[in-house]
Amino acid sequence: MTESTATSTVEPILEVSGLVKHFPLTQGVLFKKQVGAVKAVDGVDFTLGAGETLGIVGESGCGKSTVARMLVNLERPTAGTIKYKGEDITKLSGRALKAVRRNIQMVFQDPYTSLNPRMTVGDIIGEPYDIHPEVAPKGDRRRRVQELLDVVGLNPEYVNRYPHQFSGGQRQRIGIARGLALRPEIIVADEPVSALDVSVQAQVINLLERLQGEFGLSYVFIAHDLSIVRHISDRVGVMYLGRIVEIGRDAEIYDHPTHPYTQALLSAVPVPDPEAREHRERIILFGDVPSPTNIPSGCRFRTRCWKAREKCEREVPSLAVPAEFRHGFGPAAHDSACHFAEEKQVVPPEEPLEEPPDDHAGGAV
Amino acid sequence: MLLEVRDLRVEFRTRDGIAKAVNGVEYAVDAGQTLAVLGESGSGKSVTAQAIMGILDMPPGRITGGEILFKGRDLLKLKEDERRKVRGAEMAMIFQDALSALNPVLTVGDQLGEMFVVHRGMSKKDARAKAVELMDRVRIPAAKERVRDYPHQFSGGMRQRIMIAMALALEPSLIIADEPTTALDVTVQAQVMDLLAELRRELDMGLILITHDLGVVADVADRIAVMYAGRIVESAPVHDIYKAPAHPYTRGLLDSIPRLDQKGQELYAIKGLPPNLTKIPPGCAFHPRCPMARDVCRTDVPPLYEVTPSDGTRVSACHFWRECLDDRVDRHVNG
Repeated sequence: MTESTATSTVEPILEVSGLVKHFPLTQGVLFKKQVGAVKAVDGVDFTLGAGETLGIVGESGCGKSTVARMLVNLERPTAGTIKYKGEDITKLSGRALKAVRRNIQMVFQDPYTSLNPRMTVGDIIGEPYDIHPEVAPKGDRRRRVQELLDVVGLNPEYVNRYPHQFSGGQRQRIGIARGLALRPEIIVADEPVSALDVSVQAQVINLLERLQGEFGLSYVFIAHDLSIVRHISDRVGVMYLGRIVEIGRDAEIYDHPTHPYTQALLSAVPVPDPEAREHRERIILFGDVPSPTNIPSGCRFRTRCWKAREKCEREVPSLAVPAEFRHGFGPAAHDSACHFAEEKQVVPPEEPLEEPPDDHAGGAV
Repeated sequence: MLLEVRDLRVEFRTRDGIAKAVNGVEYAVDAGQTLAVLGESGSGKSVTAQAIMGILDMPPGRITGGEILFKGRDLLKLKEDERRKVRGAEMAMIFQDALSALNPVLTVGDQLGEMFVVHRGMSKKDARAKAVELMDRVRIPAAKERVRDYPHQFSGGMRQRIMIAMALALEPSLIIADEPTTALDVTVQAQVMDLLAELRRELDMGLILITHDLGVVADVADRIAVMYAGRIVESAPVHDIYKAPAHPYTRGLLDSIPRLDQKGQELYAIKGLPPNLTKIPPGCAFHPRCPMARDVCRTDVPPLYEVTPSDGTRVSACHFWRECLDDRVDRHVNG
């Protein structure tokens, strides 16, 4: 039997299993009674290998940001474990927790609200040292901060400036510098470029890739933009309504998706190539994502799935290599939580670059 | 031509001085055609649209020159009450953020019906029936029951449909959609774009689609106008631009986006930042970021040079547009 692709092939630095986060819904003022729960994350498993980038994609409300917040301990999981180098960090507290948190840092989505407007850039990037003074002795901090600014491509003389004096892309660099300050091993980046303009996005993505090589970082990269995730990730997990529905190496997910949700998601992404629009098959899903307070029985995607049958209503499909691909070693043999998984190519295959037509640049010849 | 914008100029008074948001924009849309206006934030794409609709905040904004010819009439010369008759009835706009564009304390039925009461003098009851009809048309399930719901009771995709319904209500001949799907998830984005394209075909409207997403443009546009620092830097049929851009900014944009169908190595990144609109660089506004810039680019503002198109017209505001086209050719040959 083929090994599960939720597991990284390199030695894992982070192992997540059975991760659940339910936010209670209460009624009443004095005597709060729980009437239900928002099941934001409802059983997520994955591993992250050292030096690897795991991309997590999904639409709004699928729970991807809640997963990120649990990884950096901004949110306590309802159930499940997060093992960092074999140690379950969800059970830690006090000094042991502090030591672990130093190694897992976060870069936030919105560089406009995640930087304190009343602090200078030097104070923002240096603040982690107040909490972990062992990393940089007091006299050394300014130099460290200036080094970090240089590393992320900002002028080290900017330490005394305030966030509003910077553009969006520059602010995101400040956020990244802050994330790097404690020399973490893992960076959790939650939509780090989605607030930026196209031409600036590329700069920040290239920076993240360069830093990964330079500092040997592992990334959990969370985004809704499938093209960016493919660009940066080694492995990709697709989330829907609080669960990972398909996970595998980037070519397995993008070129050989077997879960219908992944297929629909990929087929809906506009490709910047007007030639492709005629011969591309688009799968348009009906309706909206169901509410996470009221998750459908069985397969949670069945209400929007064109393949749904009775079995989908009764049985929850598990995230494993589907039976029909289990004996193969091809790219379709990766974890997919669907009873009726089938391979389907939805992204146009990479074409060899053609000869340019002669007539396109009349004046230039 | 349904709409022609000629040499439009818009300024804003700000604390830091005069911000020149639009500096001589030229573009045109025909009935049944989709023009995509592509640009980053601050490129002037939305300000141009607001000037066309006549919803620019003035002050601080000020139109300092140009013409907006709609069905042959210059809209800038119309009186406000004449302008109001055009707006909504003959041209309509779809905004990015449907939740803040809709009135939260009125039901969607009231808001849709208002169009008919105000412009067509219908009774409230007839207007309500019209509202249901419109909601059906944009495929909102159970329109009859939902007409009494408030905007917050709808999902993002459904709210955007209501925005579209409202824009279509009086069957205008021009629709301006400002980032209509940016706030939506991909699967819903595809639904909404499909709907918009279908309705445009059905009603033979002109559509101006304002966006920063090169993927969306490739999917639906007939022509593209690329804006930078308040000017059109390149305008061409959609196939021409993607095949061989004739402006280094367009080329940079195309090279800097990761592709779904390609793993790709390091991304090409346009260096630097978009200019501050109070201090637009002299000569070509793009020269500080341009890999091809030479002395003439720092001094002379490039005119719109005519480039040979596959059909229609094609222009580029680059002194060296020929080289830019060639560069693409080289890259194709060398792989």
